[in-house]
Amino acid sequence: MAGSALRRLMAEYKQLTLNPPEGIIAGPINEENFFEWEALITGPEGTCFEGGVFPAKLIFPCDYPLSPPKMQFTCEMFHPNIYSDGRVCISILHAPGDDPMGYESSAERWSPVQSVEKILLSVVSMLAEPNDESGANVDAAKMWRENREEFNKIADRIVRKTLGIYIRE
Amino acid sequence: MRAVAISLLSMALTTVVLANAYYQKKQFYPSVVYITKSNPSMAVIYIQAFILVFLTGKVMRKVFFGQLRTAEFEHLMERAWYAITETCLAFTVFRDEFTPKFVALFTLLLFLKSFHWLAEDRVDYMERSPVISWLFHIRVLTLLFVLGSADFYFLQHSYLSTMAVGPSVQLVFGFEYAILYTMVANIAIKYVLHTIDFYSEAPWANKAVFLLYTELAMGLIKVVLYVAFVIIMVKIYTLPLFAFRPLYYASRNFKKAFNNVILSRRAIHNMNTLYADATPEELQAADNVCIICREEMTTSSKKLPCNHIFHTACLRSWFQRQQTCPTCRLNILRTPTGTRPEQRPQAQPVPNPFGGGPIPFVNPFHPLLNQNVQVPIPDLNQAAAQPPPSAPPTSTTQGTTQQGSVPPPFSMPPFMPFPFLPFMSPPPMPPTNFASLSADELRRMEGNERENVEARIKCLQNIQVMLDAAVLMMNQYSAAVATSGSMPSTSNTTQPSGDNVSSTPQDSNDSSKQSFEANVSDVSNAENEADNSNTEVHATSSTSEVSANGVSPEEEVRRRRLQRFQQPVEQQ
Repeated sequence: MAGSALRRLMAEYKQLTLNPPEGIIAGPINEENFFEWEALITGPEGTCFEGGVFPAKLIFPCDYPLSPPKMQFTCEMFHPNIYSDGRVCISILHAPGDDPMGYESSAERWSPVQSVEKILLSVVSMLAEPNDESGANVDAAKMWRENREEFNKIADRIVRKTLGIYIRE
Repeated sequence: MRAVAISLLSMALTTVVLANAYYQKKQFYPSVVYITKSNPSMAVIYIQAFILVFLTGKVMRKVFFGQLRTAEFEHLMERAWYAITETCLAFTVFRDEFTPKFVALFTLLLFLKSFHWLAEDRVDYMERSPVISWLFHIRVLTLLFVLGSADFYFLQHSYLSTMAVGPSVQLVFGFEYAILYTMVANIAIKYVLHTIDFYSEAPWANKAVFLLYTELAMGLIKVVLYVAFVIIMVKIYTLPLFAFRPLYYASRNFKKAFNNVILSRRAIHNMNTLYADATPEELQAADNVCIICREEMTTSSKKLPCNHIFHTACLRSWFQRQQTCPTCRLNILRTPTGTRPEQRPQAQPVPNPFGGGPIPFVNPFHPLLNQNVQVPIPDLNQAAAQPPPSAPPTSTTQGTTQQGSVPPPFSMPPFMPFPFLPFMSPPPMPPTNFASLSADELRRMEGNERENVEARIKCLQNIQVMLDAAVLMMNQYSAAVATSGSMPSTSNTTQPSGDNVSSTPQDSNDSSKQSFEANVSDVSNAENEADNSNTEVHATSSTSEVSANGVSPEEEVRRRRLQRFQQPVEQQ
């Protein structure tokens, strides 16, 4: 019998494979190591990220359901809640107790009840509705607030880039 | 590619140096002397040696680990840089003994250390992979054996040389190999635990606890070793700066392990004492899946005060981190539980009033309310009988019915909350069998019961005071009625109040006080024959009738007040 973290990840993988949520694909990069996953997220419809397919990497800790995984986009992203290196900053991925800013209530944060699916769904809704209060990328947050057109233009460029379509200048 | 180029370049340089030496000296021994005397040649030889060590390391890594994972490689690099920096610091302490042999020994130490780190990472990886091949086991076992023997050999060697020659740089090596030896032991224990877990059919719930205690023991040994080393170094040489970072990390890890053990013990204790095991029915009622590990709950599971059910083992590891319910984030330490498992059988009929358990608030309160109002009735009658017969209960049953037929606007009377205050929390219902209760529980129950009795007596006293007040007021009324004979209305008011009153000589305007008193005694006699329990009611109702047609607004106010006093009695 494997460890409990591994069994839970296998169960989640099975669940995600059998009933994939719309617009989300996720699974281990290599089935010999279930603690490193790759996910593909499609940009939510009706937003500036519509149509894009964004690859991301999920790294799970050894004590997985007790501690949250880390998520990082492996493509270029420009979003108020995504650091410039692609790390995602949403409250569901923060372990309760170590809130650096002190603005998140513990009710929003990680608990073993959460799952990969819920994380990815939260990320999709984060793409649709950025939270410019907690800016992981201050430039993006500022642009989102003050110059939406420019933001949409950059988002469009990123969407095209993820699809391999380059705009001829 | 670059590594290959560097190795080739180094090979070429070494060949050139050797060829040059041999070309100049023609013989073996002079060439060796020439090379050792020439610094550039020595540098080339040193570089070559390092590259050879590096290549050996690569080969061994390939043999023992195969392809390194990215995380393992990063981990290795990070630790290697720290180790190299500390080695350089160690050189400064032992600069007098700085010889090629010394450098070689340190290199060997680093070399062995890096394999320990890799072995540690690899054994930790066992937890992450669902496929563990036989090759893996063979590799890990040989590696652990080789590392353990090497550590033991060097430890012994440095011990013997220190004993023979006295303190030297061998002290550092002995100490470092001792640390590595504990590391090998730690890895071996982890490996055994992981292997048992991997090949056992059922999930092994206690593995986490074993790992925790292993960590604690190893942490303690490491801290003791480092502290001993620092003390010895300070006594013999100087402050060993290079040992401070590992000492700090070792003590931090030990502290963490210690805290974890405490938290884990507390969690286990809490779960064993505070929370009930979930019954099969409860498991059936819920969807029977532990939300922490997403597996069915067939083995031991616990129910929290918020009615969420989890595996005992899952809950324990979660409570080690946080004392909240994973589902609803209820802080379980702040919530007193109403369901102590050992109390359950007896406590079943007793809704525990002390805890915040799911007590239906209305049900215990309702019978209590009735009971509470019922109890004062006999006392009330006595209280009504006690006052002197000067009270003017002029009306009779008719008056009562009249009063009763008027549905009193039953808004909470103003004085109601006062006597009810002690009962704001419902008192417990007495259990049927006292023998099944422990002495402590009996005492607790008795203490509460005493409060209840006191509160009830207080309530009765209040009622009595109010009745006395009512009687006093009544006297005043009658006195007023008697003195103000000029008012014609008084006769009218008393007349319709009852059949037995009709014969009284109240119709005359200037009725004296004496006659009124006689009348009262008459009435009270009649009352005694009639319904005894209604005395007080009659008294008050008659008063209200008397004052009903009263002219002065003060009387009107008094009447209303009396009516309100009367209402709780009338509920009966």
